[in-house]
Amino acid sequence: MSNLALGTSRKREIKRSWLLGGVFVIWIGLAKLFNGKFTLEIAVPQNTPFTSFVGEVAKSIRGNRTDGAAFKYFFNPIRQIIDGFVTFIREIISIPTQGATIPLIGWLGVLALIGFTVFAVSKLKTAIMAMALTFACGALGLWKDSMDTLAMTIAAVLLSLAIGIPVGIWAGRSDFALKLVTPILDLAQILPTLVYLAPLALFFLIGPASATIATMVYSIPIAIRLTAFGIRGVAKSPVEASVSMGSTGAQTLTKVQLPMAKKTIVLGINQTVMAALSFVVIAALIGAPGLGKPVIEALIIRDVGEGFVAGFAVVFLAIMLDRSTTAAVVKQNTFVPPSPAELKRRKIGLIIAGISTIASIILSRQFAWAAYFPKNINFAEQIGHGADTTVVWITETFSFFTDGLIKFVTVGILNPLESVLSGAPWFLTILAISAISAIIGGFRSALITVFLLGAIVASGLWFDTMITFAQTIVATLLTMLVGVALGIWVGRSAKADRVLRPILDAGQVLPAFVYLIPMLGFFGPARFTAIATGIVYSIPVVVKIVGQGIRDVPVTMIEAATSAGSTTRQLITKVQLPAAKNSLLLATNQGLIFVLAVVVIGGFVGAGGLGYLVILGSSKPELQGKGLVAGFSILLLGVMIDRIAQYAVRRNSAPRQ
Amino acid sequence: MTNSSSAISVRNLWQVFGPNPEKIVDSPDAALPRAELREKTGNTAAVRDVSFDVAPGEVFVVMGLSGSGKSTLVRCLTRLIEPTSGHIVMDGEDILEASQSRLRELRRTRFSMVFQNFGLLPHRKVIDNISYALEINGVSKEKRHARAREVIDLVGLEGFEQAYPEQLSGGMQQRVGLARALAVDPEVMFLDEPFSALDPLIRRDMQTEVIRLHRELGKTMIFITHDLDEALKLGDRIAIMRDGAVVQMGTAEQLIGNPADEYVADFTRDIPKSHVLSVRSIARPLKDSELPSQATLPANTIIRDATEIVLNSSGPVQVIENGNSIGVISANDILRLIGGIQG
Repeated sequence: MSNLALGTSRKREIKRSWLLGGVFVIWIGLAKLFNGKFTLEIAVPQNTPFTSFVGEVAKSIRGNRTDGAAFKYFFNPIRQIIDGFVTFIREIISIPTQGATIPLIGWLGVLALIGFTVFAVSKLKTAIMAMALTFACGALGLWKDSMDTLAMTIAAVLLSLAIGIPVGIWAGRSDFALKLVTPILDLAQILPTLVYLAPLALFFLIGPASATIATMVYSIPIAIRLTAFGIRGVAKSPVEASVSMGSTGAQTLTKVQLPMAKKTIVLGINQTVMAALSFVVIAALIGAPGLGKPVIEALIIRDVGEGFVAGFAVVFLAIMLDRSTTAAVVKQNTFVPPSPAELKRRKIGLIIAGISTIASIILSRQFAWAAYFPKNINFAEQIGHGADTTVVWITETFSFFTDGLIKFVTVGILNPLESVLSGAPWFLTILAISAISAIIGGFRSALITVFLLGAIVASGLWFDTMITFAQTIVATLLTMLVGVALGIWVGRSAKADRVLRPILDAGQVLPAFVYLIPMLGFFGPARFTAIATGIVYSIPVVVKIVGQGIRDVPVTMIEAATSAGSTTRQLITKVQLPAAKNSLLLATNQGLIFVLAVVVIGGFVGAGGLGYLVILGSSKPELQGKGLVAGFSILLLGVMIDRIAQYAVRRNSAPRQ
Repeated sequence: MTNSSSAISVRNLWQVFGPNPEKIVDSPDAALPRAELREKTGNTAAVRDVSFDVAPGEVFVVMGLSGSGKSTLVRCLTRLIEPTSGHIVMDGEDILEASQSRLRELRRTRFSMVFQNFGLLPHRKVIDNISYALEINGVSKEKRHARAREVIDLVGLEGFEQAYPEQLSGGMQQRVGLARALAVDPEVMFLDEPFSALDPLIRRDMQTEVIRLHRELGKTMIFITHDLDEALKLGDRIAIMRDGAVVQMGTAEQLIGNPADEYVADFTRDIPKSHVLSVRSIARPLKDSELPSQATLPANTIIRDATEIVLNSSGPVQVIENGNSIGVISANDILRLIGGIQG
């Protein structure tokens, strides 16, 4: 019976690849034939009736800000509350309080407070490292910007957790709640960051409040997801035992589920912090104070050296926050607490650290040297210059390689793909993509594809969407090429995993923006820069998923294949990769979504497409409507990619009997 | 209808999972095989019309293979799963009628449960695991720890009070599970395959431990297992479940000596009859050619335990019940039984 099923699925697969090949051949042929016709291309400054209409709507929303009921009783109060909270936190560490020239706590006090907090949740070594990294931000001449970013992150994280953890607990305990939040969480996960900035700014004004709200929209789903996951991941029998002993729901929650889910929830906090940090940087586009501003300025004026300086500060903060919050997870590896002697030592340490922290805070409020970060400790110029020269040296030394690479990717892959996707009649492209979607994902997948692509045509930004899509596909192909190879290596060799994991982890915590800086230095403003950034940014997630998939292949399967005399190559191609097929699909899906998010940001460095329109829309009032529509088109594109992949995964998972 | 002298009395208990569980109860469809029922109605009957009484102090074993509904049954008895219909009466009170708060009270004081995967709280010390039920019932720390120490001594966990579950072996962890269930001094204990996750040797130790605890404390126990040897060793009476229904209920001797159907017969085939049946079951009239010996055996003696007396006697041994001889057995009778030879 099972043999029979295997046979037919194999046959179906062969038939499917023939079909796919056929579609491609016909598509490319027709695209060549009708090149340049019905492409729906419009010039950058040109509006379509629909984008003008959206622009008008945006304008009228703006006009309504003071009087409209929705603003008066909903948006404005929310903005004021959040603004108050953000200002409160910023006044502690980054901006002067009213009537004063310094924040509540000067740099020395902040440094001590960071050290104390990290020491309290993890260990001394991490605390020292956190202090050193924060100090380094100051030494880059970016103390105030760093503190602003930190304050914004803390404010957004606290608010996100205040909402995310309770909702997550609810979704963890109630199937109904989970069903309710899952679609929202799924959507949030595939939404590229750039997309929701402009709409939020429309309703909440440009400024810290909007930036915080946008950050929360991005990070709350992460907090909800991991909290719910943690609660649901608690072993069933302790919960059942607790209920069987007559616990109330609240008792089971507080005495069993929360303590046992603590590790996952702390991990959720870590992810929320990292998401918030990366978003706060990008949110500079809608007025978030902090390090995002110098990064964006540097990108716009193509000042690689300055970009590096600000980028380093972001990286330092990212590492500091990541290490501090993951150290808290590592400590929770066992449920057995440390010995009493160790606890006592810790207590004494905490008292000493607490006293010195209080002393530092007092000093930082009394003396100028402890209040203002010392001006003579500033290596910004040297580092900026050093980065400049290094980049120039690398570019010149390896130009034979990079030039060739750029040419190969741009001329060899990207241009032909662009000419097929965006240079051909739009209905041909829709037909072809839908046919492919039907073959790999089935009828419903094709239906959704037609609908979403139709909506993109209706939006009037078809051409730009296809430009972005082409870049996304190329970047994803290259990402998969490298990522799967590395993933196989990581999945097969524990040593490779040990070597690569820290790099992958580090790669995943950095905001996408930061990667643009060196790429801009190496490759200049071009489409390839966006593609390269997308690749670098999404490789870690692909490697991790593929590696996990390979590792999850049952040992008995490997042993059976090995004992049958398979070579390593046969083992990989005939056993491990097929068995890890769903992981490969999932990795492709995630890779596409990650790449899309970054390729869009590539609009900053001359990649064109939808991202450029979004950025343009936020600075040019007459193109605001177009920018909003572009953001929406990105969303449609992301949903389409995600749906096709989901249907393909569902189709591929063999129906269980 | 229910038996008032029982510790727990179960009547017509049903548990149907699916879109319209109430419709299945007592309907002709309920008798269909599982797959057919699901095909026809979309429902699965995990427990079908189960009734039984457990006497105070009795060890009642529910035994069946996986998927027979025994785990669902025990969860219905404690309402970890809400049964579709039926009655579960303890002390004249129908547990299925109890409100949520009354149910919590019952769980905190009247019955307790031991789980297959132990269900210990990994973030709590042994002593705090054991006193958990007392803690949620608002007993002061001093009192509940004092009580916990009593049961710790009882199950042989002295010296492990401050340990964490992950520091203990599986057998020791289940001792914590037992101690936790004993801590509230319940009237009825439910044990859901408590030793299935343990190694065979440890399992045997723990079975002996349960026998000892039962002898000392006299708790009523409802014991779920898939292991026939375990059932025979522990159970005063055994109910065999299949496809959600009880196919036979009785003492070990009744099941082995008189299986209700092919299924039970098949199940019990490999059990040595001589280890379970009493001499009553093979006692026969004295033949004219035989000369009975002076030795006698009580009718409820297990055949294996009678071997020595029978071998050492000069002729067939008299089997005595209520002071009267109900027949004799000889060494040949025992050999025929062991060899499965008729006549």
